[in-house]
Amino acid sequence: MTGYFPAEFSVEITEHPASCTVRIAGELDYDTSDELVEAVVGHLRGRPHTGEVRLDFTGLTWIDSSGLSALLMIHRATSALGAALRLDNRPGFLDHRLRLTDILDHLTGPVTPAGLSAPGEDGDQSRAGAR
Amino acid sequence: MGRAPGVPLLVCAFRGSPQSPRDVAAHVGAAWGEAPCPVLVVDRHGALVRLNRAARSLLPRACDGDRLDGIAPAWLSDAHRHVVEGTPGAPSGPLTGAIDERVFEAHPSPSTDGDVVWWLVDDTDRRRAEQALHHAQERSGVLAEASSRLLSTLNVPRCMEETAAMAAEHLAEAAVLVAPPHGRRHTLTYARRGGPVSQVTWKIDPFSVHGLSEALQGFPPVPARWIDPHGIPDWLLPEGFTEPPGSVIIAPLPGHGVPAGALVLLRSGTERTFSDGEEAFARLFAARAGAALSAARLYTEQAAITATLMRELLPPTLERVHGVEYAAGYRPAKDHERVGGDFYDFHPGADPDQETVVVLGDVAGKGLDAAVLTGKIRNTLHALLPLAADHQQVLTLLNGALLTSHHARFATLVLASVRRQGGHVRARLTSAGHLPPLIVRTNGEVEQVPTRGTLVGALPAVSAQTVEATLAPGETCLLYTDGITEARGGPLGDEFFGEARLRRALAECAGMPAEAVVERVQMLAAQWLGGGRHDDMAVLAISAPKNGPLSVVGGEPSQIRRSR
Repeated sequence: MTGYFPAEFSVEITEHPASCTVRIAGELDYDTSDELVEAVVGHLRGRPHTGEVRLDFTGLTWIDSSGLSALLMIHRATSALGAALRLDNRPGFLDHRLRLTDILDHLTGPVTPAGLSAPGEDGDQSRAGAR
Repeated sequence: MGRAPGVPLLVCAFRGSPQSPRDVAAHVGAAWGEAPCPVLVVDRHGALVRLNRAARSLLPRACDGDRLDGIAPAWLSDAHRHVVEGTPGAPSGPLTGAIDERVFEAHPSPSTDGDVVWWLVDDTDRRRAEQALHHAQERSGVLAEASSRLLSTLNVPRCMEETAAMAAEHLAEAAVLVAPPHGRRHTLTYARRGGPVSQVTWKIDPFSVHGLSEALQGFPPVPARWIDPHGIPDWLLPEGFTEPPGSVIIAPLPGHGVPAGALVLLRSGTERTFSDGEEAFARLFAARAGAALSAARLYTEQAAITATLMRELLPPTLERVHGVEYAAGYRPAKDHERVGGDFYDFHPGADPDQETVVVLGDVAGKGLDAAVLTGKIRNTLHALLPLAADHQQVLTLLNGALLTSHHARFATLVLASVRRQGGHVRARLTSAGHLPPLIVRTNGEVEQVPTRGTLVGALPAVSAQTVEATLAPGETCLLYTDGITEARGGPLGDEFFGEARLRRALAECAGMPAEAVVERVQMLAAQWLGGGRHDDMAVLAISAPKNGPLSVVGGEPSQIRRSR
């Protein structure tokens, strides 16, 4: 039996004009979610005119409920700026969790002051559909 | 010294010398008079022949011709006699002894005419340095011992006993540790050197002792010399400390932010008083003891808080109620925590016609934060029970109660309102972002209840669909948390237990009572884990009893008849 070693967690932010891409790799869980929130919120603090934040999950290996909490906190930050949040290249397990907890539409919906989102947007990128 | 300025030193030294000074001068060299160390020339009969300047200032009463034993200490005159008489067995190393306050090494060089030149080398400073080094080593040893003895226990009374005992052993004759007040009572720990340590809790007035109330409040210490030893009240003296105290040190025990108490060190009047060095060391010792004590106190307080919280948060015991079997099992991520992010609750209906409400859920996060949120959810749901006919409304109100701008900590849960109807059990099930319940039918088929909804506590609004399910006798509805399906283990150690395995396991549980289903699922998940780390795991089973009477708990004959 081999020991279980989680992949190293990393956050990499690339800045574009009026938007940014956040590449997340490794496990987004209780131990790492604060790091992600701090990195993204810290980045946005100095850039109030960001119009879009894309989270790229290509390298994501696992997410737990604390990870979902982190996504919700990031959504609060982007909503406050009026920026749109995009969740790109979602692995199946992430999609499953987002649909199970019914927050996908909330996270990726159009930005409204109340934070309420219209359903149906951004569902095309999912690899694992809802049941 | 009676020497006129400008008079050559040797002339001065010759004054009144009856013996052959030229001979000696030739022997020791002319420069000896200016030598920085005291030099004495003594004849074979023990009379001083000459002294140099340094020797005169050391022995101001000495004049040439005086007897050595009249003006010098016995150790030197004895040594001179030994040298002159050539007594065998004289010490081989350098002779040492004190003259006034200082310590000298005496080196004799006998000359041919029987005179002996004594060279006295001042050794005081080296001695003092050695002594200081020895003390420092001893003290750092005491401090190291204090740290290791005190930090090895997190028990406050034991820590206080150790502190008092060590203080009495190394710092004073007796020591009393006065703990910070508990109400108006203080715990006093007494120790006397060579005596037992005792502890009492008394109502005392710390203001009656100068320096004590200050120390207990964490103010800078009052110097020992300001404390009147006669003002020490009897309650501050350990049993067996009969002499009146002669000197006292009151040292504050600095804690982490708050004072951890005061240490009173006592010496009786017959002993020497505390030196400045001892006082400084006592404060150093007190600092170590204070750190250890407050660590122990913090730990004890934390343990008490955790215990209190746990009593409130521990999951309830489930039982058979109104003809429906309920069973649940919970295994926290860390066995010592007992309370974690998973929870379940159980509210039996007031009578068999009322629905029994059960809830099972999972809070994002871990530890105390999660436990506190769990408690909040359980309390809120309890208060919302009268509205349980409408799960959607309950979840909306719960969501509103949990929303906060500080964090996005949320919960997912399944609400179930359960009632027996005839031989069947009807359950209204609503998932709020949680894994949907599984139902195992009598034929071994496993179905997923198609309820879904939004997690609670993070979004401004939530929605959920309630699904009604019916359980025939022998059928079970299982609520579980992802700690079960995400238990990592198996042959390779990093594979999830998964929903497919859970379904297969459940299929084998067809017809089993609720308790057996829960135990089976828990056992399989635990086996899968092996010794691996895991998250909280909770399972809750609702079963329609296979046969037999409706209920033995509060069941009346009319109800039993109606249920059949």
